[in-house]
Amino acid sequence: MKKELKIIGKPTPKLDARIKVSGEAVYGNDITLPNMLHGAILRTKYPVAKIESIDVSKAAQLPGVVCIITADDVDTNNISYLNDHPVLKKGEVNCIRDEIAAVAAETREIAQKALTLIDVKYKVKEGIFDPFEALKEDAPIINKFAPANNDKNIAHPFHYEHGNLQEQKDRSACIVKKRYNLPRVTHCCMGTCAVTADYSKMENRLTLYSQTQMPFLYQRDMAYTLKMEPSRIRIIQPIIGGGFGSKLDMYPYEPICALLAMKAGQPVQIAYDREEEFLASPTRQTMVIDISSGADKNGKFTFREVKIIMDNGAYTSWGATTPFVMMQTFSSLYQLPACLFEAYAVYTNNPYAGSFRGYGNPQATFAVERSIDLLAEELGMDKAEIRLLNANFKGEITGQRLEFISCGHRDALEMVIDKSGFDGKHCSTGVSQATQQNMKNSRSDTLVACGMSLKYESSSDKSVASTIFQRNSERYKRGIGLASMVHVGGGAKIYPSDGCGTTVKLDNFGYLTIITGSSEIGQGSETVLGMIASEELGIDMKNIRVINTDTDVKPWDVGVHASRTSFVAGNSLLGAVKKLKNKLSSKAVQLLETDIEDLEYENGLIKSRKTGESIKTDKVVREIHFREPNELCEESYYYEPDSKFQDKGFKGNVSGTYAFAAQAIEVEVDTYTGNVRVLDVHVAQDVGKVLNPLGLEGQIEGGVVTGMGYALTEELIIEKGMVLNPSFHDYKLPTAGDVPDIHFYPIETNDPKGPYGAKGVGEAPLIPTAPAIANAVSDAIGIKIDDLPITPEKVLKALKERIV
Amino acid sequence: MNFNITTPETTQELLAQISKHQENNFRFGAGYTDLLLELKKQPDEDLTVINLAQLNDEHFTSISELDDGIRVGTLVTANRITYNEVLEKRYPVLYEAASKLASRQIRQVATIGGNLCTASPAGDIACALVALEARCEMLKTDGTVIVVPIDDFFVGVKKNCLLKNEILRSIIIPSNSENSKLYSGFIKVGTRCSMEIAVVSLAYHIQSDENGKITKAGVAIGSVAPTIKFAKSASEYLIGRSYTSIGTSKAEEFATKVLEYTLPISDIRASAWYRKEALFNISKSIFESN
Ligand SMILES: Cc1cc2nc3c(=O)[nH]c(=O)nc-3n(C[C@H](O)[C@H](O)[C@H](O)COP(=O)(O)OP(=O)(O)OC[C@H]3O[C@@H](n4cnc5c(N)ncnc54)[C@H](O)[C@@H]3O)c2cc1C
Repeated sequence: MKKELKIIGKPTPKLDARIKVSGEAVYGNDITLPNMLHGAILRTKYPVAKIESIDVSKAAQLPGVVCIITADDVDTNNISYLNDHPVLKKGEVNCIRDEIAAVAAETREIAQKALTLIDVKYKVKEGIFDPFEALKEDAPIINKFAPANNDKNIAHPFHYEHGNLQEQKDRSACIVKKRYNLPRVTHCCMGTCAVTADYSKMENRLTLYSQTQMPFLYQRDMAYTLKMEPSRIRIIQPIIGGGFGSKLDMYPYEPICALLAMKAGQPVQIAYDREEEFLASPTRQTMVIDISSGADKNGKFTFREVKIIMDNGAYTSWGATTPFVMMQTFSSLYQLPACLFEAYAVYTNNPYAGSFRGYGNPQATFAVERSIDLLAEELGMDKAEIRLLNANFKGEITGQRLEFISCGHRDALEMVIDKSGFDGKHCSTGVSQATQQNMKNSRSDTLVACGMSLKYESSSDKSVASTIFQRNSERYKRGIGLASMVHVGGGAKIYPSDGCGTTVKLDNFGYLTIITGSSEIGQGSETVLGMIASEELGIDMKNIRVINTDTDVKPWDVGVHASRTSFVAGNSLLGAVKKLKNKLSSKAVQLLETDIEDLEYENGLIKSRKTGESIKTDKVVREIHFREPNELCEESYYYEPDSKFQDKGFKGNVSGTYAFAAQAIEVEVDTYTGNVRVLDVHVAQDVGKVLNPLGLEGQIEGGVVTGMGYALTEELIIEKGMVLNPSFHDYKLPTAGDVPDIHFYPIETNDPKGPYGAKGVGEAPLIPTAPAIANAVSDAIGIKIDDLPITPEKVLKALKERIV
Repeated sequence: MNFNITTPETTQELLAQISKHQENNFRFGAGYTDLLLELKKQPDEDLTVINLAQLNDEHFTSISELDDGIRVGTLVTANRITYNEVLEKRYPVLYEAASKLASRQIRQVATIGGNLCTASPAGDIACALVALEARCEMLKTDGTVIVVPIDDFFVGVKKNCLLKNEILRSIIIPSNSENSKLYSGFIKVGTRCSMEIAVVSLAYHIQSDENGKITKAGVAIGSVAPTIKFAKSASEYLIGRSYTSIGTSKAEEFATKVLEYTLPISDIRASAWYRKEALFNISKSIFESN
């Protein structure tokens, strides 16, 4: 018998919503400690240079400056998983972010001023800013700490294959070969990077108030870098103003802050302003993807052969391992008999990339889904039909040995095809594009020029009404595009454990404290955990607290990544709650004189269904605490997903389960300005089971908008290693007014392993967005889109070239 | 960023402060949306900001009717322009430019004077005022007032014609001809809906008589030259024609004339090629309801 759920699946406001909206929340940048100093970092002026000398004497004399450090003053290990990144750079710089010196001073202004007084003599050198140049034989070695066993300037090579490639090529009726260029975008967290370090010399104890999303790996990395015992380091996570993957790695500013605090003997805070955030925080991998993909005459996919060159930048971060996720998409998104995949993270003197929500999958899915449209066009097949024909299915074990124990791929595709009216809207073959174009009409309801709708601002923007001309349907072309994705949905086994620990403590007033290893970075995980406990124990949400910010207190967890928190921390919590419930139930059966099966937890009561008698839960706790044998109402549990490590060939079921999603997106292209307006986004996502609809909506909408920025407007522009647009003025994050209507249709596949059937949802919503938009633009105006972002200029150029 | 600030409340105090600082480094501050960004980039120096925000002088703060037009004080904010129904009805181009500036939050403080004095080639309100052939009224420390046509106000990239002992007090927008039919609007090209600096902009204010003949026309373009430009020959091209009978080829002739005034640059926002191409297209688009 299926129990009816009381709170799971019901819209529940986030636990931290009030303090965030009211401004009460204390973010990393808000922390102040007694006697705290402000740190600032001197970064190189040139991306590549020899450092001939550093003179800090003038800066040291500035009143208010407490200490200054350079590489010569510190003894540290390199950071990054390849150990190729010195904290402070000595003798040379290789990237515009490079840290040369750091100052701690009484105020931020004094620290900034001191930086201007440090005299560095550089001998500027030529750099390498193109990964293909870096691969050439005569290229110099860019990172001298790079792993010795790789070919020159390759930080990390990947190779994957399954099936018989040649055989599949021979069977193909059609093969499409393409090169795609994917841009460098960045997270744009509203809370800029900030860390506060507090060191006690007496106790040899370092406390870091850090925004990390991986506190336990961070603790270990910090200890290794500073050559300290990990247990001497305590990580406290203040409220985090956005992570999106940017806080997966530890970056040099963090150990630098600790080093300053140790030297000064006072707490130190380093907080970036927005410009430094753009210059010095990580980006998504920019990459060049060469892909050829095939299909047989019926449209069944035959093979994908992929070679990817990723610009690693000067140092390595976790982001270099994105091929690990990409190969899942290339090998297993849609049924595929054969796949050959190679990827190389290549050193250049560009700013280094990091990890970013989606972790390579937005790039991989772009390549796969764009190519599918081209295959369909070549074969003269319907773009929806070819996808449905090849869709993944429940029970499928893919060439990479991913096991799809539940699978909403086909359902998701069918849902968005149906809801968007895809069949009636798109150009079926791409052949008769021009004639179909003319039939498609532009909107005539709004009149704002140049595709600049003012959606959220329209009440004051009566300009709409005063514009006197009508839209011309020749000018505005509409199109619709389809794309889907697969992503890990039950954690990812890449570390010795993919587990999470939880302790639950029920006090004798009936309040529940959940101490979870997992972290809240704004994604709403503590709310979901609260809901799960509330569901199981019948305790009101307002009587539940989640403690998740202190490594001295909370049990181990890998961290927030791979869309894993609700799945892994949720299952872990369920395990702990089950133990706690056993304890409560054994007492309650005595008090209610009934048996365990008869008990029901509801409204702070434990009830007997048979007799209708009930007892307050807190009373049961008191009976346990205060009567012999006097026990605590506290239980712990460690959950480890049953996923497997992959073998050397990257085969194996790496996640507890997998999430699927599809999007159909309608756009309108202004052929006069090249502007692309996203009109309607239809999202269907296999979420397993909806836990908190409100939180889920937030994830979907946020993801889609991130995907839109990736598709259309965002790019961190780098020229010869320099960042050209380090501000929100020129880094075009979409604004509220750009957000289209987003229609969301959850697909519930009730995963057998997920908590209540749920699977990971966090990364999926942005992954199909860019290819769906690109496919829509191509559908609208018949041009091929191989590069992102699809800027007005690129559109106008392509249109122009087509005409002549 | 460090500066002294002084806040005159009367015209007299204002002029006294300007006189007092003639030998020093000083700036005016109105809504500060341009000024603070600029000061942030400069090294600390001995700077005084004369804060205009508390000034009680109707010439600076009000929108008032004159015999031959409307006076708009330089301290009027973009939002106030968008809330003013008279401006909206008579000068849609100004109304639209103001409502497309930045975002509502910025518009709440950004002033028309700041927009003009910054003299950015991308100034939205400034572009509309050039199309309207407005006049700039400047006050000198000795109390005298000089009026210059707006086209003379801009002298180079981010340079206006004000002398150190002058301040811009108000803008005078000439009246529309009686019984004229208006074709007036502001087109801004950029990638986002708000918080966007124009990559190209076009302001037009065209009036025709009861027979449909165009009697007056003002066309101005932004972000395609070192300053905002009044496209004189394009404006003149329209005189005597009937707005509603301008078809594709005439529209393109008009657009070609608009392009004569461009001297665009390529930068990270757009290439010179794009700016011209988009400008050509939006220029011809204004007749496309025909
Ligand atoms: C995020 C953002 C977005 C923006 N978007 C746009 C946009 O879309 N379109 C656009 O046109 N602009 C935009 N701007 C620029 C700016 O908001 C406008 O130019 C605004 O109108 C300036 O007005 P202000 O009152 O803030 O000027 P302030 O910053 O106070 O002053 C600007 C300059 O004018 C001088 N000044 C001010 N008043 C007078 C006066 N009466 N006499 C003499 N000199 C004076 C000041 O000394 C200063 O040099 C944007 C700015 C920001 C920060």
